[in-house]
Amino acid sequence: MFTYYIIFAILLAIGSFFNRNILLRKIMLVAFLLLQTGIAVYGFLNLHKTEMEFFTYDSLGIIFLCVLTILSYTTIYHSYIYLQHRKDNTRNQSLYFFALILLIISMTCVYLANHLGVLWVFIEATTLSVAVLIYHERTQLSLEATWKYVFICSIGITFAFVGIIFLSKGLQGSGSSSLILADIPAHLKNANVFWLKLAFIFMLVGFSTKMGLFPMHTIAVDAHTVAPPPISAFISTTLMNVGFISIFRTYSLMAGTSIQPWMNSILLWCGLLSIFVSVVYILKVNHLKRMFAYSSLEHMGLAAIGIATGGIGYFAAIFHMVLHSFVKASVFYQIDQIHRVFHTYILSKTGNYFSKNITGAIVMLILLISITAMPPSGLFVSEFLIFRSMFEAHQIMALLFILVLFTLVMWALGKNILKMLFVPSSHPIETKEPLKIRPIESVSQFVLLAGAIYLGLNPPAQLVNLINESIMLLPK
Amino acid sequence: MVNVLLITFLMTLFYIAIANRILTFIRVLAVQGVLLFFVVLFQLEEINTFNLILILMETIFFKSIAVPLFLAYIIKRNKITREAEPYLPNFVSLIITTSIVVATILLTNAIKDSALDKIFFIVALSSLFTGLYFIITRRKIVTHIMGYLVIENGVFVLSLAVGTEMTHLVNVGIMLDIFVSVLVLGIFVNRIGNTFEEMSVDNLTNLKD
Amino acid sequence: MLSLLLILIAAAFFSGIIVRTKSIASGRKGPGVFQPIKDVIRLFKKGAVYSETTSIIFRIAPTIYFASVVMAILVIPFDESKGIISFKGDFIFFAYVLALGKFFNIIAAMDTGSSFEGMGASREALFSMFAEPAFFILMGSLALLTGHTSFQEIFYSLHVGSYISYAITTLATFVLIMITMIENSRMPIDDPKTHLELTMVHEVMILDNSGFDLGLILTTGYLKFAMYGALIVNLFIGMVPYQYSIPMFFIIQFIIAVVVGLIESFMARFRMGHNAQYIFALTSVSLLIFFGVLLVLEKFV
Repeated sequence: MFTYYIIFAILLAIGSFFNRNILLRKIMLVAFLLLQTGIAVYGFLNLHKTEMEFFTYDSLGIIFLCVLTILSYTTIYHSYIYLQHRKDNTRNQSLYFFALILLIISMTCVYLANHLGVLWVFIEATTLSVAVLIYHERTQLSLEATWKYVFICSIGITFAFVGIIFLSKGLQGSGSSSLILADIPAHLKNANVFWLKLAFIFMLVGFSTKMGLFPMHTIAVDAHTVAPPPISAFISTTLMNVGFISIFRTYSLMAGTSIQPWMNSILLWCGLLSIFVSVVYILKVNHLKRMFAYSSLEHMGLAAIGIATGGIGYFAAIFHMVLHSFVKASVFYQIDQIHRVFHTYILSKTGNYFSKNITGAIVMLILLISITAMPPSGLFVSEFLIFRSMFEAHQIMALLFILVLFTLVMWALGKNILKMLFVPSSHPIETKEPLKIRPIESVSQFVLLAGAIYLGLNPPAQLVNLINESIMLLPK
Repeated sequence: MVNVLLITFLMTLFYIAIANRILTFIRVLAVQGVLLFFVVLFQLEEINTFNLILILMETIFFKSIAVPLFLAYIIKRNKITREAEPYLPNFVSLIITTSIVVATILLTNAIKDSALDKIFFIVALSSLFTGLYFIITRRKIVTHIMGYLVIENGVFVLSLAVGTEMTHLVNVGIMLDIFVSVLVLGIFVNRIGNTFEEMSVDNLTNLKD
Repeated sequence: MLSLLLILIAAAFFSGIIVRTKSIASGRKGPGVFQPIKDVIRLFKKGAVYSETTSIIFRIAPTIYFASVVMAILVIPFDESKGIISFKGDFIFFAYVLALGKFFNIIAAMDTGSSFEGMGASREALFSMFAEPAFFILMGSLALLTGHTSFQEIFYSLHVGSYISYAITTLATFVLIMITMIENSRMPIDDPKTHLELTMVHEVMILDNSGFDLGLILTTGYLKFAMYGALIVNLFIGMVPYQYSIPMFFIIQFIIAVVVGLIESFMARFRMGHNAQYIFALTSVSLLIFFGVLLVLEKFV
């Protein structure tokens, strides 16, 4: 099945690269979405099956594959709206969908990869395909952001490769050279700790270019700023999930060894610093997309802390990533509408959104509640679980520190968003009459948000089982 | 013999540190590719056709011919001046490169692992960090790509040091990825060359809060 | 004893060969091989003129400079015969006796009170400072490799065996030749033929010397060249019997002189500001030699 998926998806990508016909393009996109759904459903039904030697439908991969599949629908839909309003020429549109389909394929491959080398190869593939999308608007700023993104991601990924080499060096001590994920933990029991530590550090730095954690966060933020909003939604959710899944897999490989406490403290510091940096910038930022990019950084930091504290934290971290994906994706879909209304992302030039697009404004209000994790938002549940795990891990000081920072975030986001919704702008840009936004464009956001709330309050048994299964190997 | 080649490889790093012209950089990169080819050739236990072709592709064709030609084309197309224009004087670069080498030697000496081929390890780590250093201290965007390539060469040596048996499929994937990323980086350099008058990283500082 | 004789003979030819190579390379007829010696003899016949501002230092400096180089030559061995002075650690004596001579040369240049000479002196001091670690790391590595600490024993037991020691010898030769060029203020570092005081290094330091003193300094220069040449020769010959090693000595000295001449004909001088980095590169290279020696000794695997 996976072979067919790869072949047909690549054929569709190539087809949409050469195709200039609008109807045919629509058909191909729908076909691709059906194919993507097909692989997700097939994977869900055939858990633990290995295909093409290097891809396994394991529980963690399936969770994020399902998230990706759901978001593919909305992203392709909103991309279509976005491109229509930009009136791009059809060649650029073809290139856009070509890269988008390749991006989705390579992310699928990353989620399902069961071999470290394959994981690496497809992470690099995501970098290259997303570069085309970030550069879509062809401005100086997007050039700058794309250059930084590709270059630093490539270097980061090279570091991750060095980490993989160190890991295989550690493995050699116990006479194994297989880099299949499932084979590794058994052989690491008596590996040289020095190599493992080096491997973890290098892989953490490398993969955090994707996840957008603290030392490497700037490129992801810059990429958010200039990318088309539907792509920002992907960068902020599924691409960060790529980073998360790689770090999580790395962590679970070495969790059985003696360096686990050391890894925990590294991840804890990484998370704390990420949150601290994000808060500092959220307080002063004046750009709508950058504000939410920093908010993503904050949530990633929280997920890292969730892994670091262990116990219920593992569960909560994965759960948090899933819910965050739904919420943050709808944020960026909504930002596209805001941009069409105000023609700017600068916060001080926006205002009185309620009078201009009432459906969108309601979405934004719900988003504010969801993203700051106020109940009944689903994120409230996952954040609460992470805080609980911190409490159980006796990280009271860190917990208090984070709580203070989160209050500040809540204040800053609330101030900016509420101002945008209700207060008329002090220096408005009066251009042509703003477009009427059709309310139907907001349906996807309502659905995603409702989904996030539902998942948070009443997580279905299948999801809980999948998450529990993926953290089974970790120490309690 | 391998040791001699690797020591020569280290000397090329020093040479890059004091080189004034970008073309010299490119030549040194090509020479590094040839050196790596011979290193792999001597390391190989059994020579079969498939391995040989893979190595030839990876080192001689890719590192010594394709990439240098491509870089030279970029330089010519964008009319980039020939001076390397580092932020720091070459003398400081040389001292820092030397201290990087010395530091890696000391670091490696501290590792207690009898199974490790230390000279490979030293060469790999030195070129990794030297490449990073070049990226940090050069002003031109093309030289950043060259720093990236030096890092890639270091990783190549490192994978030899560990003797990782990656499956051939994965190996090909890695090679392809690196090649495509260099290509993409090159395309963006061309774009930057079209957009800005001068190809310097000082132009790329508009995105900030 | 033998080495002293050989070096004296080689010194008589060395500069002449360089000059001759240069003139042939540039298509001129050029002076004969003995012309430099004739120049020196002419200078020795003259008296010296001293500036009124100079002190006793200026007068004794050329003599001390000459004496230091002669002392340094005394420790150089050749093949099986030791130098006239030979003891453990004599390569350190060698380096610092030379440094003493250079020191007097420098303070003599300062003594004249000429701004040009001060400038030249500071450049020369800088270059020697950078070349010194290279020499010591090189000799230290060789001492480590052979397990001996005197010139004669080091060179005598320097076996050329594996690939890595070929590499080390090649690198060592390169470093020694470069040090020779630096210490003698020759081409890639300093241009002896320049006529502009601002670009001179060594030449500007001896502007005020005349007659006998100048002859002394020139002679010292020739001796120095032959001395470093002898060091390089020693690197190659090891313990070959005399009937082969003595002709080899002259052949290698001849080759070095020709190489120097060719370098001076075909290379431009380095930019003054870049000299420091090229000289420091020698230190980096000799570090690699050290590293290679560690590999050979398997202290490192």
